[in-house]
Amino acid sequence: MKYLIVGATSGLGRELAYTFAEKKNNLVLAARDDRDLQAIKSDLSLKFRVEIKTISIDFSDIEEINNKILYDKEVHKNLNGVLFPIGFMVDKDNLLLDLKTIQNIIFANYASTNYLISKFFELFKNQEFTIVGFGSVSGLLGRNVNINYAAAKRALESFFESLAFQNKKKNFLIQFYTLGYLDTNLSFGKKLNLPKGNVKKISEIVYKNRNRKFLKRLYPFYWRIVSLLIKVIPFNLILSIKNLISKD
Amino acid sequence: MSINGLEKTKTFSFDRSHSAKVLFKRPDKFREIEDLSKHNRTLINTGSNLSYSPLGFYKNSISVKLKKFNRIIDFNLKKKEITVESGITLSQLLNFTLLYDLWIPQIPGYPFITIGGAIASDAHGKSCALHGTIKNSIKEMTIFHIKNGWLSLSEKENKEIYNLTIGGIGLTGTIVNVTLKLEEFKNKNFITYKTKVNSVNECISEITKKSKEKDSFVYSWNMAENLKSLGKGFVFQNKINNGNVENFKFIPEEKKNKFLPFLPIWNKLTLKTANWIFYYLNNSSNHFREDDFTSVIFPFYGKEAYFKFFGKKGFYESQLLISENTIEDFFDEFKFIYKKFNPTISLFSVKNMRGTQEFLRFEDNKICVTFDFINNKKNILFMSELDKICVKLKIIPSIIKDSRLSKKIVEQCYPEYSRFRDLINNYDKKRIYKSEISQRLEI
Repeated sequence: MKYLIVGATSGLGRELAYTFAEKKNNLVLAARDDRDLQAIKSDLSLKFRVEIKTISIDFSDIEEINNKILYDKEVHKNLNGVLFPIGFMVDKDNLLLDLKTIQNIIFANYASTNYLISKFFELFKNQEFTIVGFGSVSGLLGRNVNINYAAAKRALESFFESLAFQNKKKNFLIQFYTLGYLDTNLSFGKKLNLPKGNVKKISEIVYKNRNRKFLKRLYPFYWRIVSLLIKVIPFNLILSIKNLISKD
Repeated sequence: MSINGLEKTKTFSFDRSHSAKVLFKRPDKFREIEDLSKHNRTLINTGSNLSYSPLGFYKNSISVKLKKFNRIIDFNLKKKEITVESGITLSQLLNFTLLYDLWIPQIPGYPFITIGGAIASDAHGKSCALHGTIKNSIKEMTIFHIKNGWLSLSEKENKEIYNLTIGGIGLTGTIVNVTLKLEEFKNKNFITYKTKVNSVNECISEITKKSKEKDSFVYSWNMAENLKSLGKGFVFQNKINNGNVENFKFIPEEKKNKFLPFLPIWNKLTLKTANWIFYYLNNSSNHFREDDFTSVIFPFYGKEAYFKFFGKKGFYESQLLISENTIEDFFDEFKFIYKKFNPTISLFSVKNMRGTQEFLRFEDNKICVTFDFINNKKNILFMSELDKICVKLKIIPSIIKDSRLSKKIVEQCYPEYSRFRDLINNYDKKRIYKSEISQRLEI
């Protein structure tokens, strides 16, 4: 089997690469910095004896996506699925952000995934093909920081739900995970109210579920409770509570 | 506390003599290593923070932890060479190379030490009489210094910095990857022979004799609870067991006894009891036993309780390189101050060492003597007297093991102390890489 992992050099992407390679899957790894890609490539191929192809790519650049992924037949050859553990954040992602930066955030976190999947829907329509997306708990509710990132992640979730509707008579296997903080470099040094999720564990879960027709899951599990509360409590009440806490 | 991907954590040296609230950075991309200059602070590199002395932190420095840089970059079976990132641990490295019957023989006694840490401290293992220190297995390295950039180091390229980096306590920059020369190692099982000795002299002559034998690792365990029994113990000799071709068992990559608390159990009485039990058990058992790779090469794995039993105050270790000509004088003087201070010594061990002393590296063609002490006033006074003997008899104390050594003592014991300091200051004029030890020794 062969899978494409977009954003494969750090955090969850890196762990997914190790989990999938350990189970003897060949991989196409896409990320920005070729040095990181080459280091992972050599490690995986030496340890697990699998074939690894790397793509050094800027995911905010549509031309690069077209040339390095969509038009490269080597990438598609025998490909069985694609995973998008990709995320792009900037400092001070607030209401005052300029349009160009907003576009970059939306493109990297939502539109590029949307675009690639729509193309893959056409390319792989005659075979069973896994598509795995990753949202964020930051998209559960509006917030004061990373506001465009959170909006893009919420849009992505909606897009995957739409995919499921579109997929009714097709062979695609679609899974979407909404992730809380994981023990990766993104959360390193952050003091959080809830414990960080285990990145190795979620990689194993993703691997185990890769053949499910449709799956939508929150990880770590305690975010399911938070998500449920956000859904049942009227927004006005949440807003009042939040304002009250902020005043203190 | 969170500052741009930095984590503030209270950190201790392994002997627990030093602690500080330290900012850690854990890069997982090359770009993040290059971005370290953005923090505008002094830096120091840390491996698994298992050094007895505080090599990997300083209260004002960011500790750079390359835990995520633990990959195998290249492996050439024909040439017997491997290139690895410096955050790889000894167990991760050996679990790969031993599949091909290859290893590096200079392995310090705990499997979770990183290769970067072993290089920065010029580590040695049980086989140091045969194989010397890890310096002998290094072919080349790549380091990153935030002012001097990326540097390739080897005997042919940037030789001076290469030499400063091995045993350079992390002061030349961040070791990112290293190419190691591997040696063949076919059978991974051992037979351990033991010989009873009744005195220090008997122990040393037995070690000197046995160390000349091929493919054997020789070291001793001696008692030091009082002058009467000083040196009484056993000389152990690990020999490769060619009769046992059982498959190699993977070395654990996770710590055992992770949650064992610090309990102040060791004192004169408990140490005496434990030592005599150990002595009688060894005395009454066969003079040889079969051992597996992990128990021989990583003797401290699974025996973490020994260190935890010093309690939160920890311990001190003194490791000394003493020439054959002065070893008798050393023990005469040792006995003299022992009488005066009656120290509490929890470990006394002897082995031979091979190498050439340069800079601050702990290596020479000498006898390596190790003592562990409970951290208390009397023992610290005793150790100060030991320092004086070191200066008098030109003995080299390990700066990696003994975290209380002063600049004054190190300057007098290491002939190349000033040369090392001057070269470091010349290479890194702003002295960006600083640790507790570099500050204490005024490097």
